[in-house]
Amino acid sequence: MPLDTSTYSLALLRLDGRRWNELRRLTAQISTQAAADGSSYLEMGNTKVICTVTGPAEGKRTGGAGTGGGNEAEVRVEIGIAGFSGVDRKRRGRNDKRISEMQTTISNTFASSLFTHLYPHSTININIHILSQDGSLLAACLNASTLALIDAGIPMRNYICACTAGSTSSHSANDEAADPLLDLNNLEEQELPFLTVATVGESDEVAVLVLETRVQMGRLEGMLAVGVDGCKQVREILDGVVRRRGKRILESAAV
Amino acid sequence: MTSLKRSLASDPYASNISSKVYVRSTKSGKVQKIVREVYLRQDIPCSSKLCSACLKTAPRDASGTLPPFVLSDTPAGTKEFPQGHYLVPDTNALLNAMDLFEHNSAFYDVIILQTVLEELRNRSLPLYNRLIGLTKSEDKRFYVFFNDFRLETYVTREVGESINDRNDRAVRKAVHWYSEHLTQSVKTAGQRKINPAIVMLSDDKDNLSKAKADGISASSLEKYVAGLENSDQLLDMISVAKENREMKDANAKAAENLYQEYFSVSKMMTGVKNGTLHQGIFNVSPYNYLEGSVHVPAFDKSLLVLGRENINRSVQGDVVVIEILPKDQWKEPSTKIIEEDTLNKNENPDAEDGEQVVTERERRALQEEVKQVHSKGTEGRAQPTARVVGVVKRNWRQYVGHIDESSVSQAAKQSRKQQMVFLIPMDKRIPKIRVRTRQAGEIIGKRVLVTIDSWDRDSRYPVGHFVRSLGDLETKGAETEALLLEYDVQYRPFPKAVLDCLPKEGHNWIVPPSMDDPGWVNRRDLRGLQICSIDPIGCQDIDDALHARPLPNGNFEVGVHIADVSHFVKPNNAMDAEASIRGTTVYLVDKRIDMLPMLLGTDLCSLKPYVERYAFSAIWEITPDAEIVNSEFTKSVIKSREAFSYQDAQNRVDDASQQDELTTAMRTLLMLSKKFKQKRMDAGALSLSSPEVRVETESETSDPIDVKTKEHLDTMSLVEEFMLLANCSVAAKIYDAFPQTAMLRRHGAPPKTNFEELANQLKVKRNLELKTDSSKALADSLDACVDPQEPFFNTLVRIMATRCMMSAEYFCSGTQAYPEFRHYGLASEIYTHFTSPIRRYADLVAHRQLAAAIDYEQLDASVRSKGKLEAVCKNINVRHRNAQQAGRASIEYYVGQALKGRIVEEEGFVMKVFSNGFVVFVPRFGIESLIRLRDLADIEPESTFDAENYILKTSGSREVEVELFEKVVVRISDVVEEGTGKRKVKLELVKTGSK
Ligand SMILES: [Zn+2]
Repeated sequence: MPLDTSTYSLALLRLDGRRWNELRRLTAQISTQAAADGSSYLEMGNTKVICTVTGPAEGKRTGGAGTGGGNEAEVRVEIGIAGFSGVDRKRRGRNDKRISEMQTTISNTFASSLFTHLYPHSTININIHILSQDGSLLAACLNASTLALIDAGIPMRNYICACTAGSTSSHSANDEAADPLLDLNNLEEQELPFLTVATVGESDEVAVLVLETRVQMGRLEGMLAVGVDGCKQVREILDGVVRRRGKRILESAAV
Repeated sequence: MTSLKRSLASDPYASNISSKVYVRSTKSGKVQKIVREVYLRQDIPCSSKLCSACLKTAPRDASGTLPPFVLSDTPAGTKEFPQGHYLVPDTNALLNAMDLFEHNSAFYDVIILQTVLEELRNRSLPLYNRLIGLTKSEDKRFYVFFNDFRLETYVTREVGESINDRNDRAVRKAVHWYSEHLTQSVKTAGQRKINPAIVMLSDDKDNLSKAKADGISASSLEKYVAGLENSDQLLDMISVAKENREMKDANAKAAENLYQEYFSVSKMMTGVKNGTLHQGIFNVSPYNYLEGSVHVPAFDKSLLVLGRENINRSVQGDVVVIEILPKDQWKEPSTKIIEEDTLNKNENPDAEDGEQVVTERERRALQEEVKQVHSKGTEGRAQPTARVVGVVKRNWRQYVGHIDESSVSQAAKQSRKQQMVFLIPMDKRIPKIRVRTRQAGEIIGKRVLVTIDSWDRDSRYPVGHFVRSLGDLETKGAETEALLLEYDVQYRPFPKAVLDCLPKEGHNWIVPPSMDDPGWVNRRDLRGLQICSIDPIGCQDIDDALHARPLPNGNFEVGVHIADVSHFVKPNNAMDAEASIRGTTVYLVDKRIDMLPMLLGTDLCSLKPYVERYAFSAIWEITPDAEIVNSEFTKSVIKSREAFSYQDAQNRVDDASQQDELTTAMRTLLMLSKKFKQKRMDAGALSLSSPEVRVETESETSDPIDVKTKEHLDTMSLVEEFMLLANCSVAAKIYDAFPQTAMLRRHGAPPKTNFEELANQLKVKRNLELKTDSSKALADSLDACVDPQEPFFNTLVRIMATRCMMSAEYFCSGTQAYPEFRHYGLASEIYTHFTSPIRRYADLVAHRQLAAAIDYEQLDASVRSKGKLEAVCKNINVRHRNAQQAGRASIEYYVGQALKGRIVEEEGFVMKVFSNGFVVFVPRFGIESLIRLRDLADIEPESTFDAENYILKTSGSREVEVELFEKVVVRISDVVEEGTGKRKVKLELVKTGSK
């Protein structure tokens, strides 16, 4: 078994060789599935997700399910986690609490950043498939969704960019010298406190903030600052992906 | 169509990312494949002060500070590397010789590679922790280089290459990189700086020869150490275990295995799971080194493990897996004393061949045992007997002992030839250890420290190596240190980091005069109260003080004021960490090893008289019938009026002419304490007894002069009652505030079987009945155990009953159900320790929790986390027990010293009877010692042993009849054991009570 997170202080190196303020390799592609209205494939380290968007489509009547299905479009999110995506092969039921919580978070986030009022009585479906899990799962889903929604051409206020931020020692260790960490992998998430943060475009406006582990008040500020900074780096990368794609479309159109 | 193929080439990172794939199996037997990313980089510094290139790119932490470089710019040289050198050990070097690396005469400037660190962690967690400790020590200069993250030194495993070979290659590559890198940076620096050699240390021949081929400096541990100045001393510290193994491989025709092979881990685990095997901690009988017992949850009574073959290489404290033997092989616990040094005196430590596990003498000794069981024909008393089939976890530590002089060959005493000798551990329960040394001549007659390295199937005894000498046997320094090491007491001076946590003002610290000072916030001013403390004579660390005053309504206000240690010791700083490791202050006869630095313990925290001090007060309103009307807790400032000794206080109380406020208050307290005590007794509290003596020493030299039994004064129980009251009140309060994480103390009800033997003994010998249904019943029946002719009999029974009890323990409230909180001995529903925070860490935790419970401050995370608290409890329970044992051992040693050269006759009582001897307890000195049959006369007398009636009758050379509980007269002298030069108290039987 390899070392654990306590070795960080020995040389300021994390378990995978990164520094405290470094993102993992983040790569993405858009328009990966021609059949969907919008699609994307995104990797944050070994976390890999596929996202497809269909819609906006006129709502099928599903027994009053859409409360917001009136004057605004409803954003529906469905997440499927592949059995082989984690270390243990296991099937997750439809009603897995963690999944439904992520679905709700993503749906609420985009409901407020998409111009849903342009599409009354309709639904936007976001389908996310998780192929591989290695931490920062919610953040990866948010980023992939942003790309797929752009690909689908649904108007939105700005990019929603997300990443995780943590701290180098656990809550109970109460180490005041703990460094904040950016973009945690699975192993770090299991041992250390962390939060997921998403911001709107280049601004400091926070769209999502999820913190489920216990952490000292004093460390939170540092973690948040690093997280928001990480979101800006993510935005650069996503923006690059979108621009490259746009350029290629223009070029092929010109021929 | 777009494809999902990754475009690695376009990614600037791509060449620097590697992935690490490995397979691991979990406890439940599943196999998991784990894939992890590795980011390779070039900004990992070499950390040599010679290098300026790395300084530019070295990383900073989030607050922008740069960790200082570790490796010296003027490293030490050796004969072979006069220009200076850095060491790079491989994993085996660390596994075989961690003691060497910790030695302070050599092994500085060491580079620990990540590859090695990881491998070491997999092989041995304790060694890994010791290494981490070394990397944190500033003066040893150990640097961890993350070679698997640095682009230039990263090595991928080739097809067909074993992990070991890959790791060895990684080590060589790192060594190579280091030497090139340093040569380069020294050259660019231009100045005449030295260029140290990078030396790989390894015991792997293959690795060494490959290193040679690669052109890097490498050396075996032995060769390297031989080139150092104090090589003899250091060479002994290299574990011989490996060497032995190699030797045997060479022999090819493997020596006959003496012990049965252990079961495989998976076989043991499945066995334990389905109930065919059992797991528990192995304990050796103090009277018979060939008899062990293992307590397992499935049985009430401990399982017996008899004989060397069945014990199968387990050592006291190991966690073992055992298999129950068929019923016809069950035995009784032995009634015979079997000591290793008398049985196997003349063995040759070098004998490897023709050795048998069980020597002929041992076999005979045990056979006699078995005969006895059969002769009696009472199979009813046979106990479930088992054999060890595997060891889950070794609990080996460093052992103190002395060299068996007879095992040292005469020739070797002068020469420096390496030879095997036997080390006899101080702890009788530990087997002899075979040690290979070159210094046999020098360490004879010394107290020495050794560790066990291994115990293979083909060796009768474990093999270990010599660590260091503590000094001559029988000298005070060596014996005290030996004692501290045996009981794992942390006795080194407090490190600087701890002392830095003390208040800057030092002894000049005072309670802030201005009440606006933050120290006064939420602190009650109790300076006006007539408070005093009552302690043993000469007590410097005064934890507690008391006051009492009448209230207008006829009730009393009583306050217990405890030193406010938590004000000075903040959670999670270095001082707190040190205190939590030490766990308790250890009191030896001539020495006190403090839990907290002196400045706090004996001055700033200590509730000394005539000065103002911070305190944590518990204040009650109590009716004259000792009913509690009201209780409250507050931080306070007090000023003690006087520090009494128990005797002084007693004199004041008894002297009717003294009518001052303090004395009246003490009388009130005394009156109330008697009522409290009665109430506790009615509820079933036990009054137990352990032999207590006090050694009087000459004040200057602390040489023992006399031994006195402790006197009991009323004022002692006065203090005790109010401390109990405070502890109980605080326990209830913190449990109320933190139901999951309160720090509490419990005392389990002893299982009935614990008393079986004693009850039977009392029944047979005195026709007394010992009732053990409840603590109340036990207390009452103990009260009834009196012998009108012999007042001490009751105390003797209490001492023996105390030994049947469970030991009390600290625990975290969330780990037990409420009924389990009970303190059996005190008959209290809930209990904690609050009153001695200067000398016990548990009390300090209780203080923090109480402060949070009354909203004085926020509860720190560390005392709110259940896991963390459990770890704290586990540690302090061990420390507490060790401290008690160390204290007892210290008294024992000093009693021996006080008796030196004297011969006294004293009364004693027979506590235990064996078939070949008996144990006598001498109340006057609190000593307990064996008298064997062969001690009775020059020619060992014939004997008959009546086990049912606990009578040993001898005939022939001397005719005596010894029975249990009997009063005897013994002659006490001290003798020097031949061969070892060790001094021992010896008892001789003068006459038995009646005949
Ligand atoms: Zn360098």
